[in-house]
Amino acid sequence: MESQRLSISFYVTVGLIAGAIIAYQIAVMRVFSVGTWSHFGSLTVSMAMLGFGLMSAVMCVSTSFFERHWSKLVALSLYTFGPLMVAGNTLAQKVGFNPIELISNPQQKYDLLLLFVCYFVPFLPGALFLGLAFLRAQAVFGKVYFADLVASGLCGLIFLAAMYVAAPEWIVLVPLALWLVGALVWFGSLGRIASMAVVAVLAAASVWATNHYTQIEVNQFKGISYARKFEDSKRIYRNYGPFGDLEVFASSYFHFAPGLSDNAASKLPEMPKNSYLGLFIDSDGPIGIIKQLPDNLKAYFQFLPMYMPYVLKQNPEVFVVQLGGGISTEVARTTGARKITVAEGNPAILSTLRSSKIITDLTGKPLDDPRITVIGYDGRLYARTQRDKYDIIDLSLADSTGLSSPGGFAIVEKYNYTRETLGDYMNALAPSGILSITLWNKEDLPKAIPKFLATVIAAARVRDGDEAAKKFFIVHTYLSTATILYKKDGFSDAEADKLAKHAEEMSFELLYRPGMKIDLGDEDAIYAGYRGSYFHSGDETEAEGEEAAPEKEAKPGEKEAAPPEKTEAKPGEAPKRAPPKLSWANLYKVMIARYLKGEFAEVDQRYVFDTRPLTNERPYFAGYIKVLDIPKFLHQLDAVSDEWGYLLLWATLILAFLFGLLLMLFPVIWGWKTIFSKVPGKFGIFIYYFCLGTGYIIVEVGLISKFTVALGNPAISASVLITGMLFFTGLGSLFTSRYLDRCRTLMPKIFVAIAALLAAGAFFFDPILQAIGSWPYLLRIVACLALVAPPAFLMGFPFATGMAMLSRLGKERFFIWAWGINGCFSVVGAVTVPIVSVLFGHSVLILAAAAIYLVALPAFFYLLKPIPGAQPA
Amino acid sequence: MRALSAAILAATTTFAVPAYAQDWGCAKVADTILAPGAKPQQGQVDARKLNPPLKDKEAFIEYMVKARGDDRAQLARKWDLMQNYVKNGTIKGDDVLRAFLLTAREEFSRARAPAEAYKTSFLTIGCGVTISGPGMVAKMTTELKVKPGEKVLEIGTGSGYQSAVLANLTDQVYTIEIIPPLAKFTDKLQIELAKGRFQELSVIKRKAADGYYGWEEMGPFDKIIVTAGIDHVPPPLLKQLKPNGVMIIPIGDPGCQHVLKITKDAEGKTTRRDIYEDAARRPNCRTQTLFVAFTKYDKEGKTVSRFGSKPEDEKKPQ
Repeated sequence: MESQRLSISFYVTVGLIAGAIIAYQIAVMRVFSVGTWSHFGSLTVSMAMLGFGLMSAVMCVSTSFFERHWSKLVALSLYTFGPLMVAGNTLAQKVGFNPIELISNPQQKYDLLLLFVCYFVPFLPGALFLGLAFLRAQAVFGKVYFADLVASGLCGLIFLAAMYVAAPEWIVLVPLALWLVGALVWFGSLGRIASMAVVAVLAAASVWATNHYTQIEVNQFKGISYARKFEDSKRIYRNYGPFGDLEVFASSYFHFAPGLSDNAASKLPEMPKNSYLGLFIDSDGPIGIIKQLPDNLKAYFQFLPMYMPYVLKQNPEVFVVQLGGGISTEVARTTGARKITVAEGNPAILSTLRSSKIITDLTGKPLDDPRITVIGYDGRLYARTQRDKYDIIDLSLADSTGLSSPGGFAIVEKYNYTRETLGDYMNALAPSGILSITLWNKEDLPKAIPKFLATVIAAARVRDGDEAAKKFFIVHTYLSTATILYKKDGFSDAEADKLAKHAEEMSFELLYRPGMKIDLGDEDAIYAGYRGSYFHSGDETEAEGEEAAPEKEAKPGEKEAAPPEKTEAKPGEAPKRAPPKLSWANLYKVMIARYLKGEFAEVDQRYVFDTRPLTNERPYFAGYIKVLDIPKFLHQLDAVSDEWGYLLLWATLILAFLFGLLLMLFPVIWGWKTIFSKVPGKFGIFIYYFCLGTGYIIVEVGLISKFTVALGNPAISASVLITGMLFFTGLGSLFTSRYLDRCRTLMPKIFVAIAALLAAGAFFFDPILQAIGSWPYLLRIVACLALVAPPAFLMGFPFATGMAMLSRLGKERFFIWAWGINGCFSVVGAVTVPIVSVLFGHSVLILAAAAIYLVALPAFFYLLKPIPGAQPA
Repeated sequence: MRALSAAILAATTTFAVPAYAQDWGCAKVADTILAPGAKPQQGQVDARKLNPPLKDKEAFIEYMVKARGDDRAQLARKWDLMQNYVKNGTIKGDDVLRAFLLTAREEFSRARAPAEAYKTSFLTIGCGVTISGPGMVAKMTTELKVKPGEKVLEIGTGSGYQSAVLANLTDQVYTIEIIPPLAKFTDKLQIELAKGRFQELSVIKRKAADGYYGWEEMGPFDKIIVTAGIDHVPPPLLKQLKPNGVMIIPIGDPGCQHVLKITKDAEGKTTRRDIYEDAARRPNCRTQTLFVAFTKYDKEGKTVSRFGSKPEDEKKPQ
């Protein structure tokens, strides 16, 4: 076996099929993202990946069958894998799963199950092929694994490139093409012309089906579905790629005026009509792209909340952190900014707004304004390099839906809003400059605003300490927007008066101004009231429908507008306070008062949702529900629909863990007498591959999140990290065969080195990534690859070494079992990443991975236990 | 393999394909799946002339069966639900209760099973539109405090249920729908119903248009009810609201929507209030009633949701 030689076509096919599998995963995620809601894509794909576990379990208990029929089964897996990928996706579009009805319509749960089946089945032949390949190549596992990983990484890159040329509805053809080439190489190397012809016919049929049947059914509740129905709607632009499927529609039905003062109705002579284009990304939207307006129609800008800093600043130099559809930039241009710097991290948006003639003809090429400088990468990375420069920095509504509703993923890093980044914005302000942030204020109960207030005040307190209290001016409009102004040298009384007057004219409600006294006497009652909104001690159990029971207790108007006031006390008793009015303004005020004193934990402990400030460690506007409260929300899921993504992660974790465990225990129970009872070290094998499966994926997925700090875009970060990690890990596994004889002495060093490198990364990745974030982009990518290369290379050793040693020790049956354990718990690890990141931060996550690798070390020696009577390895 | 593919493809045809899954199928949906008139209209009844008992369930059912030939089971379900709303304060006033008891939700809900019409949750009705849960409609109508003879504008006709309720409160109801196929369907539905057992619906004036601009030639209005989300209150609507007028707008996500009440004083100044605010704080969020769906707003007015989204004034709660 040691001298086993396999043809190059064997490695190539393994690589291409492995690549097709990874490409299919990404393709399915894209389809979900465009068609419905990608959180469910994550859930479905994660669970479908358990197909590897199932196949491993089956192969483990009947290895001899698979060895006997090896050739036929390989052929079967190759014939079916490609067509099933297309068929699975096509059928999934017919299911009609509608997340919006998940709670109210029981049928939707079955539809979700059906979706899972559609996507689960194609993974089975893929897993079968790889399992058979590994079974045949045990003695040279390192090389096969190298082919598997390196090709997976490269195919990830191929997929990334293919996204530029293949529209989402065609993207399933990318894994199909990889499969086709792999199958042709395989059968070609065997001289099986007829099989090649069959594969070609199947491929042609799959392409026909892709063309004939809709590959993406866009949910009727997606924004683009509505835009398509407008009578005068017309799609004028489309551009797809890794940054999303961008479509621009023209219609007179688009109206945008985020946070517009209600007083505009009485004071504004005319609102502009037909002034926007609607930009949709992956069917979500629209983002309003403002057309060129005549001067007389620009007056409405003054009624927008993002106008507020301009009340104090004349002819300012402005930095707009995110271009988006361009309203903030237009506000700056209209109000006479002398110089404007605009950043946009999504190159597809920038390209759309700058290069598309049909759009620039309508917008009047605002970015060609000589006052404007465009920064083609994340504004936060640019801000880091600036000092004492801008009179106004505007982060108005940038990405604010994403604060709680990321769209693409359940949990998305929001580095634009972290304490560190806000500190950078503050540093970039001129000595009397103003940072202006306007956010949506529409969540019930408030989630993002309390968290963001904590973050921005925490950032200010890092710079200014208690002086921060002199530097904020905060207003909001109920169920509209909240605007936070931070002035670097503080607001004078005159300035605060001027802003207050403007706020009053706009009917914006004042939440805070320097010197404002906030009564904390009602604090307990306010927090208790808000917590009681969900966890009322009343008759929740009597609820019979979504509304009936709660409404029994609702007595609208009973305490209407009751102002907080002292009620008369009986003699000898302390005066009682009347129940406070549970308005958002009162809630925000008591929060702000605590935050300004630095008492962040005080608020977090008492408010019903998590309010901890965002940091680069935990850059998430998600996971508001405190862990211990999760069970209490299970009977009122409809009340926290904006947390479904986060809760789905928990559901996925629990399901993946249980199914993984079940699948891995199945061979143990089934084959206890014939396989497991006779072989020592089985528990060690389980722990070993459990650790490798979870540890590796935690590092990979965790670093994708972390490296977004430097790379800006999550899609690029994912591509660079996946490719880099898999490539270097594959390289490491290639080297293992040289050291197998010395593995007892080498592996401890490897494990310790991995743990040490990861631990160091946990502490130093952030500052390093921050530093390289402003380098030229290509250099950033190279630097990131250099950072991951050492641990990734070393992480290639444990898996391949373990597999090779199992083979050497005559534990072939465990070989496939181990592969399945690794696969199953990779799924578990991948889902663990966002949960741990949200709760504890990236560093804890990476440290946990380091610890897991250390746990694998003693397990490795259990794995090496020889079978009694067998020749020692 | 070919046979297998054929079998798989054949199997797909057995799946129930919901209307909303057909992206461009809205018009088709309106014309076929949701086609009105399934139940032939019998006799001519004008609810404005009816005076059903409001205190006794059996008496109410007997009265309505005799007066309009309504289905007993549906009447019983409706009675139970509405009495629940009366008890918890969602419905206030006999006039509002009467309006809801006289309005046959089952005619508008496109429910798959008759009983679904009086379930508390929203229902999808095609075209990416839902009919709001009855609690939400009841709450909004109560807050609107419509008096006979008042001129009421509804933005977002949707299923037609809300305007039908309003028609039992006043004889001046105007409603605008932005999705042409849906507007066409509901127009046809209400015309058909008004010919028979629901003649009160003849007071409803409908048009397919962008509700953002209101209905200027018919304004000003005493009350405006916007059954669609919005990233700002449309100035044209505020302009068309009479002094001391009231506007009701729902905002938020399904299952947790707020209903914003805007009042315009004699000087034209507006104030905002959540209609559930101060309600001893809701025992839990579900008090808000399921409303349509879906919108959150992103930069520069992008509307997004976890479920999809739509530009605000196109939202059709019901």
